[in-house]
Amino acid sequence: MTAAWVARPTVLRLVLRDVAAAASAGFLALVVLAALLAPWLAPFDPYETDLMAVMQPPGGQDYPLGTDGQGRDMLSRLLFGLRVTLAMGLTALVFGGVIGVTVGFIAAYWRRVDGLLMRLMDVLLSFPAILFGLALAATFGPGLVAVVIALSVATVPLMARIARSTALVVMAQDYIEAARATGMGDWRLIRRHLAPNCVAPLMVFATLRLGQVILLGSALSFLGLGAQAPTAELGAMAAQGRTFLFFAPHISVIPSFAIFAIVLACNLLGDALRDALDPKLRP
Amino acid sequence: MRRLLTALCLAAMALPAVAQTPRNTAVLMREIDADRYDPARSTARSAGEVIYMLSDTLVSMDWDMRTIRPGLAERWDISPDGRTYTFHLRSDVTFCDGRAMTADDVVYTINRWIAPATRSPVAWRAGRVKEIRATGPHTVEYELQEPFSELLSQLTLFFASIVDRATVERLGDNFGVQGFNGTGPYCWVSWTPRQDVVLQRHPTYRWGPPIYENRGPAQIERIIWRVIPEATARLAALQTGAADATQYVPTVALDQLRRVPSVTVTTQPNYLWDYYMAFKVDKPFVSDPAARRAMAMAINKPAMVRAVWSGHATAAVNIVNPVALDYDAASDALVPGFDPPAAMRLLDEAGWRASTDGVRAKDGVRASFLVYGISTLENQRQSEIMQQALRRVGVEMQIQLFDATVAWGRMATQEFGAVFLSYPYFSAGDALNLYFQSTQRPSPNRMNWNSPETDAWLATSRSATDPAVRAAALANVQRQLAEANVWITTAREQLFVGASSRVTGARAHGLYGVGLYKGLDLRVVR
Repeated sequence: MTAAWVARPTVLRLVLRDVAAAASAGFLALVVLAALLAPWLAPFDPYETDLMAVMQPPGGQDYPLGTDGQGRDMLSRLLFGLRVTLAMGLTALVFGGVIGVTVGFIAAYWRRVDGLLMRLMDVLLSFPAILFGLALAATFGPGLVAVVIALSVATVPLMARIARSTALVVMAQDYIEAARATGMGDWRLIRRHLAPNCVAPLMVFATLRLGQVILLGSALSFLGLGAQAPTAELGAMAAQGRTFLFFAPHISVIPSFAIFAIVLACNLLGDALRDALDPKLRP
Repeated sequence: MRRLLTALCLAAMALPAVAQTPRNTAVLMREIDADRYDPARSTARSAGEVIYMLSDTLVSMDWDMRTIRPGLAERWDISPDGRTYTFHLRSDVTFCDGRAMTADDVVYTINRWIAPATRSPVAWRAGRVKEIRATGPHTVEYELQEPFSELLSQLTLFFASIVDRATVERLGDNFGVQGFNGTGPYCWVSWTPRQDVVLQRHPTYRWGPPIYENRGPAQIERIIWRVIPEATARLAALQTGAADATQYVPTVALDQLRRVPSVTVTTQPNYLWDYYMAFKVDKPFVSDPAARRAMAMAINKPAMVRAVWSGHATAAVNIVNPVALDYDAASDALVPGFDPPAAMRLLDEAGWRASTDGVRAKDGVRASFLVYGISTLENQRQSEIMQQALRRVGVEMQIQLFDATVAWGRMATQEFGAVFLSYPYFSAGDALNLYFQSTQRPSPNRMNWNSPETDAWLATSRSATDPAVRAAALANVQRQLAEANVWITTAREQLFVGASSRVTGARAHGLYGVGLYKGLDLRVVR
């Protein structure tokens, strides 16, 4: 059993001891649950229009979070919007993460290709994600796929750098040398010793990155490059409501607040995880 | 609390724009810029609103959108056969550079407009010209190959604005980009694309349309046409006095705006600007007349228009607005009303059967079509409402809205099954000739409507010298199109011009959708 797995119960206890982090974890769990159960929780079809109830303010009997400019239930759209936004963020994080970590490990383990791979990552890092999203949307048309690709590409170099630096530290440990001395093959060594010992910092970064990816994805949708009408997506919903900001602020404020809360929760949880996993900060 | 929040937001949003407006300068706001300001090569309303101030037409349009008034021509005669118009020009007109305008300038301008080399998309509006000739320094004969009953109305549009030959030849393709020389109440100073156009008063101007109280030069020294794409920012600028007038007021804000003491809102009851969805009649599914009729029955237009335009537009029935010349009331009765159950029965009878995914199908063809349009607030909202309404009867409508810079190109293709558009017009003949002549395919006849009967009726209407003959021919077209449900005309927009208390005389006009027209009565009062 590796060191990371041994430390897990302690880490969990340390995270939950932090009130803000515990609340964030609970909130994120609720958000994920709400997104998964959206078809059962939503009181209305998120695309069903009620032309007699356009821009209803929150607090009404039929529409607790009000309605949007087309008379669609905000609560239902928020629940389905969470699904799309989270799915977009997680998909981009998984794709970008897997590719980035693989690149980082290869660079750290086979140092001959390190320079080449890291320069490639530098090139990717120099592209702002929004600019890349714009280029993709201009080439293939706007849509969620373009956004996921842009976010994944933006995540790859960041994950690769974290994975590489973490792997370099682990590679210098005696147990790696010992494993090599026993004649363990490269891939087995990576799988059995290198990867498990890099999980903790990568998890911290992934948690922090999830918030950033959601924020960036929502920004791209807000700009019209991501989810297209009538898809319920938090960034697109916020954009649709901005014309009515003075008259029906809830149309923009509710999805914007949801984005804010999710990103804040990810950041707080990521910070708490980092503190819990850093031996120097442990009590 | 909400009011306080609104006030704070307004103040914050307007801060950058509050840079003091110089004395006797008015800032007019608009939503988008034009690609150029050349009357013969621009068709956008955003071009028209500047060109009307920079130049003049031979004749002008009264507030009723029907009566033709003098412009650069103080009077005109029409030959008994309706083929020759003789315009008697004013002798006191000068261009911005001080040169006197003569009949040669009119001949040059009209010939340039209709010349194939100019490639004006609206050259047809000049009629089938045989010859334009100057018969004196201030007399022009405009001879047609056949009568064109709407010629004078067409000549009020900014496409027919008289321009200075020397400036056109000097600037070439950059005419209307780097400079302009017209006879209008204002003169060109500068254009910063997507930012602003600055105009300076034409000091000797005394030939404005007689519809204005002010018969002399413009009362404002300098006009700045500023592009502010965001509706909320325009609203904030108007309420805080950072800008002076705009016709681009979001309808959702109108009621609130009318309660603001520092803002006045004027409207124009004779305004003609309609929204519609047009079907390409040779595309799968939408080529079926029964399907088009069923779709027209599936949409609750009054409720949709109330929701999208906040009650500040009226639901349309057939293509032509009842206030337009040659409107045919009987054709309205041929357009089916809102009746979703009947729509579903009609689709069933036509063989469009429900399938497992909720979208009907017939002989392997899905009841589905792609609609293109410009990404405006109104199009976004009405398209989503219509999409939902059609889904309820088993029809799938896929929406693709584009930025205005690419939309026109995409809408000239054959890629889509329907298109969302809105347009200005001044009569039934203007609207129907623009869109339904077979020679206008593929654009602006994006429907690919190709009917010899329609062409014949439209030809009759164009050349009719008897108004009754023209009206009868246009009534036939309106009835034919109502029965074919080629369009679902959704809304008849109203024009509202909002102005801050800093200016007076901002009366809504609306020719070709342009709110302020010449703006001759505009005055800065503080």
